[in-house]
Amino acid sequence: MNVGAMINKLLRAALFYEIWDAMKVTFKHMFHRPITFQYPREQRTLPDTHRGALGLLRYDDGAERCVGCDLCEVACPSHCIKVVSAEDKTLPLSRYASEFYIDITKCVFCGYCVEACPVNALAMTKLYEYSTHDKRALLFDKKRLYEIGERHLEDAKKYLYAHNQEKDDQQSRDYRYFFPESVLKPKA
Amino acid sequence: MAKLEDQRTTVYKVDPEHPESANLPTLRTEELLLNMGPQHPSTHGVLKVILELEGERIVKATPVMGFLHRGVEKLAEDGTYHQFIPHTDRLDYVCAMYNNFAYCRAVEKLMNITVPERAEYLRTIVAEVQRIIGHQFWLGTQALDIGAMTVFFYTFRDREILLDWFDELCGARLTTSWYRIGGVERNFTPSLLDKLRRFLDYFLPKIDEYVVFLEKNRIWIARTKGVAVISAEDALSFGLSGPTLRGSGVDYDLRKYESYGAYPRCEFSVPVGKNGDTYDRYWIRVEEMRESVKIIRQCLDQMAAEGPIMADVPSVTLPPKDRVFTNLESMIQQFKLFSQGFDAPPGEIYCGTEAHKGELGFYIVSTGGGKPYRLKIRAPSFIHMGAFDHMARGYMIADAVTIFGTYDIVMGECDR
Amino acid sequence: MALKPVTSPDTEAATIELSIDGRPVTAKDGVSLYDVISSTGKIVAAMCYHYTFDPFGSCGMCLVMVEGKKAPVRACTAKATAGLVVRTEGDDLFQARKKAVEKHLSVHPLDCPVCDADGHCELQDMAFQHQVTNLANAKQKLIPEDTRSLVLDFNMNRCIACGECINVCKDVLMIDALQFVKKGGFTQVVAKGDLPLSCEFCGDCLAVCPVGAITNKYSKYLYKPWQLKKTTTTCNYCGDGCQMSIETKDSEVVRVTSPLSWKNKWGDRSETAKGHGGICVRGRFGFQYIDSKNRLLQPLARRNGTLVETPWLEVMHTVVDRLASIKAAHGPQAIAGLITARCSNEELYLFQKLMRAAIGTNQLDSSARYGHLNFVHAVREALGVGRMTNDWEDITKAKAILLVGTDITETNPLTAVRVKEAIRVYKSQVIVVDSVQTRIAALASHPMMVTPGSEGLFLQGLVKSVIEQDLIDAEATGRHPEAFAALKHAAAGVSLEAVAAGTGVPVDQIHEVAAVFAEAPRAIILCGEGVVRRPGGYRQVLSLIDLAWITGKLGRPGCGVNTVTEEPNEQGAVDMGAAPEFLPGQARFDDPVARDKFAKAWGAELPPMGKGATLPEILRRCRSGEIKALYVVGENPLATLPASAEVKAALERLELLVCQDPFLTETARLAHVVLPACTYAEKDGTITNLEGKVLRLRQAMEPIGESLPDWHIMTAIANGLGYAPEYESPQDIQNEIMKLLPGYYNLGQPKKLSPRPDAYLSNGYAASVGSRYRGAATRAGEEHARWPFALTMGQLLYHSGKLSTQASGLIKIAPNTGRLSMNVEDMTRMGLAEEARVRVTSAKGSVELAVQPDLTLRPGSCFFPEHFNEPPVKDLMPLEIDPDTSVPSFKFARVTIEKI
Repeated sequence: MNVGAMINKLLRAALFYEIWDAMKVTFKHMFHRPITFQYPREQRTLPDTHRGALGLLRYDDGAERCVGCDLCEVACPSHCIKVVSAEDKTLPLSRYASEFYIDITKCVFCGYCVEACPVNALAMTKLYEYSTHDKRALLFDKKRLYEIGERHLEDAKKYLYAHNQEKDDQQSRDYRYFFPESVLKPKA
Repeated sequence: MAKLEDQRTTVYKVDPEHPESANLPTLRTEELLLNMGPQHPSTHGVLKVILELEGERIVKATPVMGFLHRGVEKLAEDGTYHQFIPHTDRLDYVCAMYNNFAYCRAVEKLMNITVPERAEYLRTIVAEVQRIIGHQFWLGTQALDIGAMTVFFYTFRDREILLDWFDELCGARLTTSWYRIGGVERNFTPSLLDKLRRFLDYFLPKIDEYVVFLEKNRIWIARTKGVAVISAEDALSFGLSGPTLRGSGVDYDLRKYESYGAYPRCEFSVPVGKNGDTYDRYWIRVEEMRESVKIIRQCLDQMAAEGPIMADVPSVTLPPKDRVFTNLESMIQQFKLFSQGFDAPPGEIYCGTEAHKGELGFYIVSTGGGKPYRLKIRAPSFIHMGAFDHMARGYMIADAVTIFGTYDIVMGECDR
Repeated sequence: MALKPVTSPDTEAATIELSIDGRPVTAKDGVSLYDVISSTGKIVAAMCYHYTFDPFGSCGMCLVMVEGKKAPVRACTAKATAGLVVRTEGDDLFQARKKAVEKHLSVHPLDCPVCDADGHCELQDMAFQHQVTNLANAKQKLIPEDTRSLVLDFNMNRCIACGECINVCKDVLMIDALQFVKKGGFTQVVAKGDLPLSCEFCGDCLAVCPVGAITNKYSKYLYKPWQLKKTTTTCNYCGDGCQMSIETKDSEVVRVTSPLSWKNKWGDRSETAKGHGGICVRGRFGFQYIDSKNRLLQPLARRNGTLVETPWLEVMHTVVDRLASIKAAHGPQAIAGLITARCSNEELYLFQKLMRAAIGTNQLDSSARYGHLNFVHAVREALGVGRMTNDWEDITKAKAILLVGTDITETNPLTAVRVKEAIRVYKSQVIVVDSVQTRIAALASHPMMVTPGSEGLFLQGLVKSVIEQDLIDAEATGRHPEAFAALKHAAAGVSLEAVAAGTGVPVDQIHEVAAVFAEAPRAIILCGEGVVRRPGGYRQVLSLIDLAWITGKLGRPGCGVNTVTEEPNEQGAVDMGAAPEFLPGQARFDDPVARDKFAKAWGAELPPMGKGATLPEILRRCRSGEIKALYVVGENPLATLPASAEVKAALERLELLVCQDPFLTETARLAHVVLPACTYAEKDGTITNLEGKVLRLRQAMEPIGESLPDWHIMTAIANGLGYAPEYESPQDIQNEIMKLLPGYYNLGQPKKLSPRPDAYLSNGYAASVGSRYRGAATRAGEEHARWPFALTMGQLLYHSGKLSTQASGLIKIAPNTGRLSMNVEDMTRMGLAEEARVRVTSAKGSVELAVQPDLTLRPGSCFFPEHFNEPPVKDLMPLEIDPDTSVPSFKFARVTIEKI
């Protein structure tokens, strides 16, 4: 090592050169716009793919999509869904979910139930503000899930599209699970 | 004066040169046991270490683990192979993508599935993005532990960009579950590609910014150089891997030597250290961030514009949703796969993947049927914890923090 | 095409060698190739095959290549022959099988989300296994669902025409209620004649249906298989002790399934002799009482005359304090207990221990008293064994079966399936002696319709006929010439003509039947409620033993005297000593060695001899005020016994009546304290079925409400009374039983019993036999003139005791019509239309009710199910108590019927 370099090094050590080096970067940031934002006054824009609270969907005419097949229940890795299915006696051969619960405290927001649903009755929305003081309110029942589905229908549609569950809007409108026809009393 | 006897003390030392000291109350010179954690901020989760101290020097360090044990391996036995993917998110919760990747690779090896080329590229890109996130996270927290706060802010600022990118990719920032057995869940959109490219351009100079704060900082150097040194032989015999092993000069990187994903089609170098100290490991991680950027760029350039993102193996992979609506076979496939899972052949496999911490391995024993009989996770954090005592002996108590940090431990993965 | 089991007790098929996938395999000549392949562990896909019936060969899945044949052959219908070279794997076969699945899939509806079979569907499995994808859908069937049947819905869109339902119904159960019909261009399964299904509703068709074409109405759309917790347990309805699985969702029973299922399709055909794995209508559709709304959820205690819900602790204090004070004031003889034979062995054991050791009384009885004890006492006395001597396999492989007084398809449907298999597969001759045209009589080779109540007389006629025709086994009778001479002498008084007149069976038929029975190498006697629950039941069983003895059937393999029990654990009740005359292990209560052993084991003195009381005696002592406290576990004497038994008066005199039952029964309404007990689905334990098999009960769900298992309550009472043993689980009680009765559990397998009649025949037989053959026919004549009709109360297939009336599923199939079943001829003669009201009068009183025609009844007889007391037909019944065994009989009365 030559003398010049030695002196240079000594000088740097004595003057805490590396601190000035670093301070330069810090000072530069003084003129930068803050990257934080003030929640809840400011809100993030969530992407369409965002996996938020689940909602149940209806067909355009208001009929429930869910047929109570319980596949979401078995697909759920955290066993947070409970479906109680029953026979809809008013219509031949039709099955529906008489009760539908999602224990949102257990939900891991993996989206498997949506992936599993053979009729696209479930979708995730961008809703994430449902904190409460009462834990019981976090057991979402059928009514609440349909409410979420109705209020966040646009998000739900976008979610299904973004996650390849639905090809386009038209398809979702055309598609409908139909129960094979039947009559209660065949002709004798 | 009455002779003071300390009942609790067992060791008395009498200075032979001053025999009268036997009559004086003596200083206790036994070792001090110090419980560090489980609430200590530097333990990155909940880890407790019982330090045996002689003065301020560590004589022995015994990690006590299990505070974050959730029985993940047992949970795997309860569900189908597919259902376990969201559970892997919660192993190393900082880098969920890598856990997904390693697990899916293991199951694909078990099921003998070949992943389509485009999916391999997507997987590699996301894995490297995740590596950058992991190293950023490590760098920020390690610096914070040692006392440098600014780096933490900067790395986390840039990490946010990538987490939001993940959100757009798969719908969650941390618990991603984006990888699937046989491919990936969702394709890149043009917007994602664009954002990623812009990030890479933005990010490379930022690495230099981080480094400015540390590389020449005498405090950083004093706290890292020559601290927690482990020789190459010891590192190997402790089973260390990843940057922790490469810091000791062992050139071992599964990306190069097992060549999975799109890695064999990319050119990149594996930084290897010399001294096996904390500083070398830091240097390796910084270099790896640069290499990752290189890999991602190559992948983005090589990748075809279109192509399948899921393998088409009807007995394993899910059918496209629109076919489920109209087609009985696909509906049966959907129902069988979700309710019973695919029928794995009996046998056992091990598959290791180079995560940013080290070798993350999944060992699966299958006895046939839709659920694993046993699933064992070789978590690098856990293996590295084994070397903690060896590496901490003789260092000062304050260095313990540095030594935890140098493994990049995450207790979620360590305790499982 | 019939591939009957090639190995029967008579013929042994040759062993042959063939090669399957290059490996040599040995098999029996002539069995189905499919079975041979599955015996090697290879599973060939098949959708229409089931080993319990003949192969049908409709699905075309089980294709294998046989060397020398160009095209693949169906393994199920092919017979194994020597030297066959078979290949079961290969791409060509895979593709051929795939084609077969595709054929079914193309017309199958997109039903998985709503179908109950989803997840338990062979078509799904096959499609998935064979990786069928991208199939062009053919025209859907669009057949309306047939919902006319009471318990099953037929959705023929899902049907794959495998014919399993039809075959199991026709071949195994011999009911033949289903058929194929070509309708609307598709082959469909319909009930015979395309009418609403009317059969025994055993639901075996549902069990074997590999798809969701047949669904259970009671659980339709309520579940998916993955939601259900499956618990294998033993049915609690009759003594057959069928294994079944209760499938629950939390605290709700969703359905009951049987081991018989399309999933277990391969097996050894000859093994079905031990049971085909199916269950009957009661087991499959009568589960609703377990989680019924009528269940008692809280203990009740009487306050100011009404029963009010009271916490357990308080109620237990009351029970224990009152029992203790009654015992202190009046001695242990003031306390008695009754228990039902629906309880587990452990509970029955604990009950008698509680009564004997903790309280110190021998006044205890179980519902085995209603009939089974007649049989047990007779076989103990005569043969030295304590239960029936044969098992299901013996019944199946018998050459001749004599069914006396048992409507076996109604009371014990699965034992009936054994008899049916004997008829169908082993070509057995079946003699049915009954006053009703039963379903088994319709299948039997020798149906004998006797006049009601004359079964005993017919048996004497049989003995007489055997002697007359000299069908006597010289070896058996030669050993006891004295006894035989006495029997001959006694039988001399019996005139076959009188028997023929009394029973309505011609003499030559009696001779024929006697010959069939006597000449069969393996002959089984099976008697039921028509013998053991009738006056003189004990003696009639002895007559049956006489018959078996002189024809040489005692002790010969595959022969014996047997009975069927109504309640699941009547045998266990006797074995566990829940009867005043027996200690556990059927040791006599007055046997000093046994008394010593149990006194030591229980650490308590046993109650003195001679003070025990059976059920009728307990009720008498209650009436007389000697007994002050009665502890009733699951029994309901008030609803069971006729008014002439004066049960109500007896119970009302009690100072303390404790009832322990899942339901608020008629008896419980009179109780001072009612303790809610669990049903069998909520507890662990064992029961002993009629074969002597010890079968496990397994807990399927948590107890409903605050109800507790019986053993738990009894342990608490024993502890409250200061008697030490603390059982924490039925397992603890079981361990104690194991220690005291080594070998009782015997891994569930009954020990082979060999009858030892020698002691009986050489001691006192000669003296006693005469009285049994005297004067059975005499009093009939005048009685008949005064009371022209014979009224029988008996069991229906769809019910068991009073318990099943709490099962809404069974009530839906067989509600209480409140009508008297009458012969059609009688009805026309009396000018009665259906639903016409009549007054039925017996010596005990009269009841008004409507009538309905019943084709199975003989003229001069009428029937009312014993499960219902509305109208109170049971109160017409006279009560007769057997002098030998104290068995009360009250199921038969002579009545007059008047039109009103």
